[in-house]
Amino acid sequence: MKTKSMWSFRLSTAALVLIPIAIGINYIGKTIAAGLKLPLWLDSLGTILSSMLAGPIVGGLSGIINNIIYGITLDPVSTVYAITSGVIGIVVGALAYKGWVNNFAKALLLGLVVGAIAATVSTPLNMIFWEGQTGNVWGDALYAYILSQNGPIWLASFLDSIVVDLPDKLISVLLCFFIFKGLPKNVKRLYQNNQRFEEL
Amino acid sequence: MTLYVKQDSLIHEIDPITKVIYAFVAALLPYILPSHTVALIVLVISIMLLVVGKVFRKIIPLIGLSLFLIVSLVIIQGIFRPDNVTPLFHFGPIIFYKEGLSYGLLLMLRVINLLCAFGVLILTTKPDDLIQSFIQKGMSPRIGYVIGSVLQLIPQMSATIATIKDAQRSRGLETEGSLLVRIKAFLPLIGPVIMNSLISTRERSIALEVRGFNAKQKKTFLHEVHTYKYAKVIQAVLILIFIFAILWRIFL
Repeated sequence: MKTKSMWSFRLSTAALVLIPIAIGINYIGKTIAAGLKLPLWLDSLGTILSSMLAGPIVGGLSGIINNIIYGITLDPVSTVYAITSGVIGIVVGALAYKGWVNNFAKALLLGLVVGAIAATVSTPLNMIFWEGQTGNVWGDALYAYILSQNGPIWLASFLDSIVVDLPDKLISVLLCFFIFKGLPKNVKRLYQNNQRFEEL
Repeated sequence: MTLYVKQDSLIHEIDPITKVIYAFVAALLPYILPSHTVALIVLVISIMLLVVGKVFRKIIPLIGLSLFLIVSLVIIQGIFRPDNVTPLFHFGPIIFYKEGLSYGLLLMLRVINLLCAFGVLILTTKPDDLIQSFIQKGMSPRIGYVIGSVLQLIPQMSATIATIKDAQRSRGLETEGSLLVRIKAFLPLIGPVIMNSLISTRERSIALEVRGFNAKQKKTFLHEVHTYKYAKVIQAVLILIFIFAILWRIFL
């Protein structure tokens, strides 16, 4: 089998069709989490899963398009975080390709890395748009506490976003890891680098 | 899945690209020029456009979505902002400062302005028209397909969720109760939807390829997008204002 680089932009039709599915899963995850009143967003399951399945380009596109679509349909504020979502997709895709989803311990580490990176990317955006706050109760409470202790704003802002992003992304990555492991082989092979659908 | 309101108005007539440019320019202006006056002027213009577009009432739930952020900005900046010196008033032991409140107010105006500016676009533009305009401007039709199909898929998947929720409950799945019970319910609810939709990608991609999705020929459009007479003029003015604002910020 001829393999292409994971960074190829020439997406197969199956990989392209995965993008809207991923965005749909993001939305469903968010809806169910809200419906069950879970204290997490779980709104990036689709992006993470599609990155594991089809690599960083599909993952990154899913992330960016996801937030742009929310921006033009339901919630303009989410457009601001398109970059964060894109980076999550790229990071998960690249690391999954390198074997970071082979076992539970590695997936755990992947979750922590993704959470930390998501917070790092969001912090400058939060600083530009809302002086470092996030609009999350727990995060903003921590932000206020650090400012009241005369901590620097950037630190307050980073902690504000990591305190929400880290648990959320960690759980999301682990959930996706379990789902990914449970997928039948022919589904996984559909998106991998060969252009052919499947060998009969 | 859209907030688009079908109306007959001047704003609905304007082409999508012009409204996209407006949304970005209007949303970013108060960030480029950090003054209350600029934010207020742009906000008033956006609100006027919303009123002319007969969609003003629909902007309120959109702002409601970010209400916590808006309130939290004013309160936290008012109490904790590092350069606070002049106390303005206090609730018991909590002191609100003039500098922080003033800055919090600016942040609040910026957020509401961003929501209203995008509201002008979102509430008066059909997503399909928006996608088609971008494809005509040179965006890949493949990306256009991706965006268009999301808008169809999400209502479908939401309907599936309702079915699966009933099915799993009839098998004894508990979806209410302690946090642990609710956490346990998450995977059985989302798992089948994910499996279903991943498996359906195979059929979707076969269906697309059979219909010439990857054909290299130039694509034509089913619907004609009406052109707007003053599109070029308005776009030019908006971009000029944007450039002028940046120059103003840098040199003055």
